[in-house]
Amino acid sequence: MKSTKFSELTQEQIDRKWWEIGDFFRRNSLWMLMYCTGCCAIELPPAMTSAYDMERLGMGPMATPRQADVLLVTGYLSLKTLRRLIYTYEQMSEPKYIVGFGSCTINGGIYHDSHAVINQLDRYIPVDVYVAGCMPNTESVMNGFVDLMTLIKNKQANGWIKYKENNDWYKQNQKEALGEVKIKDEFHE
Amino acid sequence: MRKLKLFLGPQHPGMHGNAAIHMYVEGDIIKKSYLLPGMLHRGFEKGMERHSFVNNISLIPRVCVVEPDINELAFAMAVEKLADLKVPERAEWIRMIIMELARISIHLMAYGGLGGPTGNYTLMYHAHADRNTILGFFERITGHRVYHQYIVPGGVRKDLPNDGIEADILDFLTDLENRYDEYRDLGIENPTLLARIKDTILLPEEVVWELGVTGIGMRSAVNKPYDIRKKMPYCKYDEVEFNVPVSNYSDARSRVDLKLKEVVQSIRIIRQCIDKMPEGKVRVPIAQGQSMRWTVPKGHVYSVVESSRGEFGYYMVSNGGTHPYRVGVRGASYPQGLLGIEKYMPGTRIDDAALWVDTMGVCSPEIDR
Amino acid sequence: MNSMNNVTTIKELVTKKITVLKEEVIDQYQVSFEVKKDDVHHLLSVLKQAGWRQLSYLSAVDWIEDNEFELVYIVFNWEKPVHIQIRCRIDRNAPTMDTILPIYPGAKYYEREAHEFFGIAFPGNDSHEKQLILENWDDIPPLRKDFDPKAYSDARFPKREYSNDHVEMNGQKESKQAKREERRTHILDLIKGGKK
Repeated sequence: MKSTKFSELTQEQIDRKWWEIGDFFRRNSLWMLMYCTGCCAIELPPAMTSAYDMERLGMGPMATPRQADVLLVTGYLSLKTLRRLIYTYEQMSEPKYIVGFGSCTINGGIYHDSHAVINQLDRYIPVDVYVAGCMPNTESVMNGFVDLMTLIKNKQANGWIKYKENNDWYKQNQKEALGEVKIKDEFHE
Repeated sequence: MRKLKLFLGPQHPGMHGNAAIHMYVEGDIIKKSYLLPGMLHRGFEKGMERHSFVNNISLIPRVCVVEPDINELAFAMAVEKLADLKVPERAEWIRMIIMELARISIHLMAYGGLGGPTGNYTLMYHAHADRNTILGFFERITGHRVYHQYIVPGGVRKDLPNDGIEADILDFLTDLENRYDEYRDLGIENPTLLARIKDTILLPEEVVWELGVTGIGMRSAVNKPYDIRKKMPYCKYDEVEFNVPVSNYSDARSRVDLKLKEVVQSIRIIRQCIDKMPEGKVRVPIAQGQSMRWTVPKGHVYSVVESSRGEFGYYMVSNGGTHPYRVGVRGASYPQGLLGIEKYMPGTRIDDAALWVDTMGVCSPEIDR
Repeated sequence: MNSMNNVTTIKELVTKKITVLKEEVIDQYQVSFEVKKDDVHHLLSVLKQAGWRQLSYLSAVDWIEDNEFELVYIVFNWEKPVHIQIRCRIDRNAPTMDTILPIYPGAKYYEREAHEFFGIAFPGNDSHEKQLILENWDDIPPLRKDFDPKAYSDARFPKREYSNDHVEMNGQKESKQAKREERRTHILDLIKGGKK
């Protein structure tokens, strides 16, 4: 017997329902990528271990980008890191979220006049949540994660869609700052 | 056998900090390896030239992320030497308390970090819980958990809070000391871990002298108390009693062992500090409220502090202006991090690489600056 | 007082062998010698022989007004704890200095870094020209005094222009900024008082 209510929905609406169900599970089991790009990563161990216990929010560390949901950009990004960060971000499977830590990702922070550090992260990759502070203490880090979950619930954490839609703009910005986005690892030899 | 090119890091759970080791392996033996530094380069040495001496106070703790206080002290000591400032006695003792608390916290963090490459995560949970308590003390004393900006040229920023912090610190230290055996049992006395870290990653005495390794790496190999705190005492380290643990065989285990033994000595030092600390002022005012226009006399000075990884130095040149003319930072892990990995990591196995970085004490932010 | 004796021994040791342009005793644990460029290697090997086995630091200072670079070598002896600074000036237009690798093998990466940040060449050190910390650098070496990081940063990395394209978590509440400003001006007025 056919459910009358379900048959009234269009395919698009059914897809949306499935996304909502997916989002529910996704936001309650977020795997964060273990990549310490900067100094705010020093507040992650207290958040992960017994003092604040990130696992009660359903978050855990993940070693490979392909299986991770959240990329934590912990602090300033030098050009050398940005190249590798873009590489990492593009490897992650969708949907993917970015949390930017510290004032350095927002506007360059204390390194705003440095020759090696970028000033504004969301020109190069999309950011969903910022955690302000230099460095943000563990409570604000945890609060940032809760905010990310709320955003996923409200369907506002759509940075990865922006990145797909405005890919040319992002690529253009990356090229302007980095010159060459591709990583060449043989320079050291 | 097939040769492979592998990367350890920058995105790798076994790598501490944002650096990569680029290695060529045959089977599981590393044949050639390099450190790829520079991913944490922020242009500090240039940035310090662009800020005045007082503004720099907020910049310097960020040079070394895990252990910011050594930067503050080394910078403050360099400025004091140039400007001939006399630090009040109470400030010296408070500085020592901060430094030794920081030393305990970094040793605990390194000890817990040993859990990463060896897969013993219980260790990490224990060590980080205790470290978190120390960060709580820092927050009460200085207002910040990690970057304190507390030790400034001319003393410390403010006195210890009047809420019984000394008693709380002493309580915590007694608690930590009581659990010392437990810590050893969890980590370096644990047979499963011992099989992994014993007799690996050797550091012979010749290598120490060739690379210029200092700190625990050096003391574990040469069997002499080569510690800056003993050899050229700064603050009031000549007025407290403590031993410098040494050994004559440097493998991964003995280096970790020395770290734990240093924690006990640090506890001893803090107790004596709290006991001997006089009352009084904690800061000499510089330039009577005109601190932004404060000029430091001409000169060039190198000031050193014993960090958890070895000799940490600031080379400072002043041309008599409000800004330092040049500040150079000698990262304590510079020798073993760059030259050590290039010359002495080949020959070990792939799975030892993460342990190598961990037990040698390679800290990438101070290499990159 | 033992450590002051160390300083006098060093002075004797150094001045006997080498003409020192300028010497300075900074404190009982540190002395500084300014020597000629050609004497550096000799002096370093003398000191290494005498027990200063550890190279603590090697870097450069850019004295742009004199058109010179100043190289700084700091060596340390753990038995007689004195840091010795050895400084020498080299020409800024074509800066070269022979490597000290045969004397202190640990200098390899310090020299490489000095080349990267100041552009000083170290013939004899094979790898000194490779990039170490910077990647794809396209400007003059950054620690030279005529390099302006702010201009470089402004040209390359756009600053954030503050607009409202971010999501506000507590959007419905009104901002407290105006109230805060008002309170601040009120307090400032109180501090000023009536009298001038």
